[in-house]
Parts: sequence; structure tokens; C-alpha cells
Amino acid sequence: MQLPQPFSKLEPFVEQWSLGTERERNNIRITSTMEEIQEFYDAMLSQIHDALTYLDSFPLDDMPEDAQKLFNLTLSLAEVSNCVERFGEPAVPNGFDSARFTPFSPYGPIP
Amino acid sequence: MQEAENIELYDRRWTLDYPELGTGPVSIEPYLSQEYFDRERDTIFRRSWLNVGREEQIPAAGDYFVQEIPNCGVSILIVRGNDGVIRGFHNVCAHRMNKLVWTNDGSCQTFSCKFHGWSYDNSGQLRGVPDEETFFDLNKKERGLSPVAVDIWQGFIFLNLDPNPEETLLEYLGEMGDRLAEFPFKDMTACYAYRGELKANWKLGVSAFNEVYHVAFVHPSSGNSFRDKDNMFGRPLWAKLDKRHHTLSILGNPDFKMTPVEAVAGSHTPQVSQGGVGSGRGSNPSGAKDWSLDINVIFPNFFVDVASGWYFTYNFWPLAPDRTFYEMKNYYAPPRNASERFSHEYSRALLRDILHEDLHMMEQTQAGVASAAGTARRNILLGDSEVCVRHHMKVVNDHVGRTD
Ligand code: FES
Ligand SMILES: [Fe+2]
Repeated sequence: MQLPQPFSKLEPFVEQWSLGTERERNNIRITSTMEEIQEFYDAMLSQIHDALTYLDSFPLDDMPEDAQKLFNLTLSLAEVSNCVERFGEPAVPNGFDSARFTPFSPYGPIP
Repeated sequence: MQEAENIELYDRRWTLDYPELGTGPVSIEPYLSQEYFDRERDTIFRRSWLNVGREEQIPAAGDYFVQEIPNCGVSILIVRGNDGVIRGFHNVCAHRMNKLVWTNDGSCQTFSCKFHGWSYDNSGQLRGVPDEETFFDLNKKERGLSPVAVDIWQGFIFLNLDPNPEETLLEYLGEMGDRLAEFPFKDMTACYAYRGELKANWKLGVSAFNEVYHVAFVHPSSGNSFRDKDNMFGRPLWAKLDKRHHTLSILGNPDFKMTPVEAVAGSHTPQVSQGGVGSGRGSNPSGAKDWSLDINVIFPNFFVDVASGWYFTYNFWPLAPDRTFYEMKNYYAPPRNASERFSHEYSRALLRDILHEDLHMMEQTQAGVASAAGTARRNILLGDSEVCVRHHMKVVNDHVGRTD
């Protein structure tokens, strides 16, 4: 059992999409197919309200392991939603090379 | 009624309020010329107040970071002393001028030079000289690190490489500084940042974010909240050009329907497309209806774009006539729970994707400008919605032409 019980339907997505950093999430997004993205998006969207409500009961920087896995899935939903809702493609059409525009944290990490 | 007022606004030609700007074509030389680039270094970057960060980056005594100013070839150490004061120094040992600090940031009580071990405290005083008695006439009090003018405005750290800055930071920021000071920057300390090197002149970067005319074409889906049926092509809600800086207020479509995930995010924290949301302190100076955000450019290379409940900044650091180091920082109130953190992640991803569209376009523009250099038509045309592009190019040009 990897995810908290109410979210067991999302279990098939954990391996591909439960990722802890923006770089990992962006990388899996731009290297996945639209079919994979759409399937993940649909499954997540149907449970996003419940997932966030559940996760809000934990401190942001100290979640139990199964909750953190679920939380990482929600962050991947934030990452891929533009593919489905705006672009119709995994990467930004006519976009910059992701590897050339990298995240950093001037004030330390945000959980 | 209100809507009628906006339509009238769109008939205004802001450029004509500033006759000194002119309305003619603008040369592409400034995007290409090495000589012009060198003049910018001497007349602008060595003499202007430049933003290098925020004080939250170095909250404790001894905290420091190093800022390179690439086109000036200088490295500056910004450090908070044990007395709590933030100071700037040339990052150079006073013995034989070795580069003193080699890391980007950290915390330090004593900075020791890696060449012969001279050491300095975190207020820049020379404290230790190995085998000091072999030196002739060494006065340690006069051989501390060379200071650089540093000042702070609303938590933003600025430096000025001019040994005797013509103006204080507050004087330099002028009217825009007074107006923007009302914005609650200090409440928004969660920062998501990106950086990268661009194959484009730094002013092409500034120009690309200085108008909304491009949004319908560069951001056909990601920027569709910035237009409505009366304003499809980025006409200003308000434009105010100061001596050097400027502000451009831009539209947010109040009828824009958020996408499903954006709507979830928008129910927890403010989002990019939440046009029509009421403006707070320090923003939407004209009180325009259906406002979304203000573009504020602090000359020469710093954007502070304020929205309702969040803001973002850009810094452009020239590397060469056709290369620029670019940083964007996106600020929110610290997330209190998973819902808020998720919502930040949505907004962060959308802004980043929008920037991907801009940055790619910018490099294509640099390529186009370089190609046009060999033709008879070596200039660009600017419409009224591009008034801030014209202003920035004009202020740069006025500096470059200075002879004092
Ligand atoms: S150059 Fe720094 S100690 Fe000699
Ligand atoms: Fe843009």
C-alpha cells in the first residue's frame, strides 16, 4: 500500500508521477505522451478536491510518507494541466528548451 | 458605464503625452553593436542603482551572497554584518587582489583569502595578516575590503558601482518608488525562481515584457485572460513614464472562465488569470476597471510586476550584445497548507510555460534583428501600445549619448 486508502484508485500513477521536485515533474511531463498525460489528468481531477482536503490536515513540511506520495501526485497535476487545458501537447508549443531555464530557491527550499 | 470608460481609454495615445519620445522608427543598432554595449556598461551599469536581491536572502549576521555584474567584469560581496547592517564590497582581497569569496552564498564570521590567508570580518575590516611584521607601513584600518554603495528599498537590495552615486536610491526610484512602496512585498516571501542564459540582447528581453501587444500571438492560449472583446491587442489601461522608470497597467478579462485545474488553484491562492480582481495598495494607480497587473520597470534592468496578492520580478544581466543572463522570481505569501502549495505550483508552472513562449520568441527576434542588419531597413516600428518599449530604448540611448 503506497497511497492513503481513499486514494487507492490513483495507485497506478504513483510510479510515473509521484515526484518530489519541479525538474522531475517537468521532465516526465515533456517526455510523456498526451495519452499518458490525459489519463493521469482525468484520474487526478476527479479526486483533487478530496486529496487536497485530506492533505491539509498535515503540516506541509512533515507529512506521513503515504500522504507525501499523494501530495507529489497533486503537484504533478499542476505541472501537466497546461498540456490538457491549453496546449494540447506535452511541451510548450514554440517554447524554450526546458533544460535551459532552471528553477532555484534564493531563500531556501519551499516544502 | 464603467465599460464605456475603458473604451474611451483605448482611444488615448499615450506616446503623444511625451513629445520627447517622438513617434518615428527606432534603430536596431542598440541590439547588435559591441560599441553600444560598451557604452551601456560605462554610462548605465557602472552608474545606476541595480537590484541584486532581497534582504530575506541574508537574514542572519554573517549571511552573504556574491553577485557578479558580468558586463562590468566585477564580483560583489553582499554581507550582513554582526551589527545587522547589510553592506557591499568588491569581492577582492586587499593584499594582491585575489578573488576573495568563491562560493555563491553562505554564512561567515571571517572571510579568509585563499592566496596568503588575509582575513576580514563580516563588516569588511581587515583582521588578520599572516606574518604581519614583514610588511612595511601596513595600516590594517585602511586596508579593509573596498566598499560598494548598497541601499535597501522595501526589502530589495540595490547596489551602485559609482564610487559617488549621483543620487540616493530613494531619489533614483523617485515617484515610482513612493507609489510602489505601498505594496505589501514583505508579506510575500515564498519565492519560486527560474534562471537561464538567453541568446538575445538584454534590451530585447526588457522589450518583450514591456508591452501586451504580443500576447494574442505569443500566448494564444496561456495568456487569453489578458484580453477582452474591446481590447484584443494589449492597449494600456494606464501608462506612466518617469524620467527613467515606467509603469504599464494591463487588462484582466473579468469574464474569463478559468480552466478546471486553475479553478481549483484559484480557490486557494490568487492566479495569473484572475482579471478583474480588486487591486490593493501600491498597484493599479489609475484605479482602472478590470485591472490584472502592473508592469513596473525600474531602469535599467529590473521588473517589479505587481498583481493582486502576488508579484514577480525579472533581472536582466547583459553578457554580450547578443547574450543575457535572466532571472525571474515569483513571490507569494508563504503556503500554509497543501492546498496553497498546490495552488502556487499551478501558478508557477503556468508562468514558467508563458515565459517559455516569450524566451523562445526573444531568441528568434535577436536572429531576425541580426539578419536585418545587412539590409537597408535597420529600424523597428513601435505602436502606441509599445510606448514603454520606446521609452526604455530612449532612456538607454540618452544615457549612452552622455559625455560627462
Ligand atoms: S591576495 Fe589575498 S592574501 Fe594574498
Ligand atoms: Fe509575453
